[in-house]
Amino acid sequence: MGAAKSLATNEGAELVRRCRSGDGAAWEEIVQTYTRRIYNLAYRFTSRADTAEDLTQEVFIRVYRSLEQYNPKQGDLQNWLMRLARNLIIDDYRKRQRAPQDEAADDLEDHQYHLRAAGGTVQREMERRELGAQVQAGIDKLSPDLRTCVILRDIEELSYQEIVDLLRIPEGTVKSRINRGRIELAKTLRRMRVVEA
Amino acid sequence: MLCHEFEGQLTDYLDGALEVQENRKFAEHALRCPVCHDLLSQVKNTLLACSASEAPLADAGLEARILLRTMPETAITCSDFEEHLTDYLDGFLMAPLYHRWERHAALCVSCSELPGDVVRAIGACYTYKQDELVAPAGLEARILQSTIGNVLPQEVRAPARARLIEWLRGALDPIVSPQLASVATMLLVSVFVLTNTVSTDGSVGGIYHASLQLAERAAGNASKSSALPNGMKQLAGSVNDLMGGDENSGKGNDANKNQNTSNQNSAPQGPQSKPKGGGSEQKNH
Repeated sequence: MGAAKSLATNEGAELVRRCRSGDGAAWEEIVQTYTRRIYNLAYRFTSRADTAEDLTQEVFIRVYRSLEQYNPKQGDLQNWLMRLARNLIIDDYRKRQRAPQDEAADDLEDHQYHLRAAGGTVQREMERRELGAQVQAGIDKLSPDLRTCVILRDIEELSYQEIVDLLRIPEGTVKSRINRGRIELAKTLRRMRVVEA
Repeated sequence: MLCHEFEGQLTDYLDGALEVQENRKFAEHALRCPVCHDLLSQVKNTLLACSASEAPLADAGLEARILLRTMPETAITCSDFEEHLTDYLDGFLMAPLYHRWERHAALCVSCSELPGDVVRAIGACYTYKQDELVAPAGLEARILQSTIGNVLPQEVRAPARARLIEWLRGALDPIVSPQLASVATMLLVSVFVLTNTVSTDGSVGGIYHASLQLAERAAGNASKSSALPNGMKQLAGSVNDLMGGDENSGKGNDANKNQNTSNQNSAPQGPQSKPKGGGSEQKNH
């Protein structure tokens, strides 16, 4: 598994309380716990390491300024933080789609994938690495609407309702975008010979 | 029974159609004649093998093909098929459409691979999710720098006042957990008791003082013997000491202090002065 760290509900609330009182160590713990997850989310949308990095930083700045608004009674820190992150990253993604720049997704080889320390030969690790790069390449080929829905559903594993709430579009639209996105992704991956029967 | 008779009756025997007498003769011959015995066994085995063998399983598309030829109007198009793919995978497809969908999957050459491909693509997404990218080196430091302006958070200590305010905020926050509600109620009741709700003179000690004074007065009036009042006086003194000590350390009020001093002053005096002390106590109230 990737280092999917998370905090218990009361632990998160306590950390936020300490942050609000100005405790730097508490804020550092939040940053350390969620940087990787948010960076990955940003990377899936942007497909560029530098943009994902900037976006991650922006998310944390926003989170830091919004700590006062966090209410532990309305859900745990992780949900709140990831919701904020998704909103911001999707907003940014939509903005960039409206004003497209001629930026090609950077070379996938540039990225250092997290390799599992145990369980798997070098060969298998290479295959996994390859798979990750190809899935990302397949996702990149989707249109923005489909891409957003596929990432949220099949990578972030949100429910239909959560996606409806997040994107503020009807459930029927969400479902048909997920459906269309999955089919296109499947066809792309088949062409790339990533998925074969 | 002769061997050719045996052969002639073989089918009837196996069908159970022989008369009892004939049947017995047939069985006796089968036991006596090894050639006929073998013949009987072979025929039995052959029949068994025939009944066990079935036609090879029909091709999964056969039923679909028959239905397509007989009810072509129930076929769905490739675009309908794709449109309902996620519903099919989610198990949301209604039965009639479900079967038509599956028939299309079985027949359409260009669509039959798609459901498997989609499932594998979803699987690839999950695998991709597991292999998270490592956040670039220095990103955390950049975030810390841009938020708290320091890459060594341990140096950023909260000022004592802020910590106190935050602690109070936490402490005064309405009780979140339902289990704590009863504890909160008890705390509330004890606050009432400890403040003014129960005692008329604003202290817990007051209850005891008032009741002691009443008892002393009653005792002084009713009995001429000095033993009881003396005992009462000692008791009152010790209660005063106790309550006085408590209230000096806590937040005692003036009324109580007055009360204590008046009681302590009156303690060395005789029983006669008691009603007077009690009187001043009543005024305080």
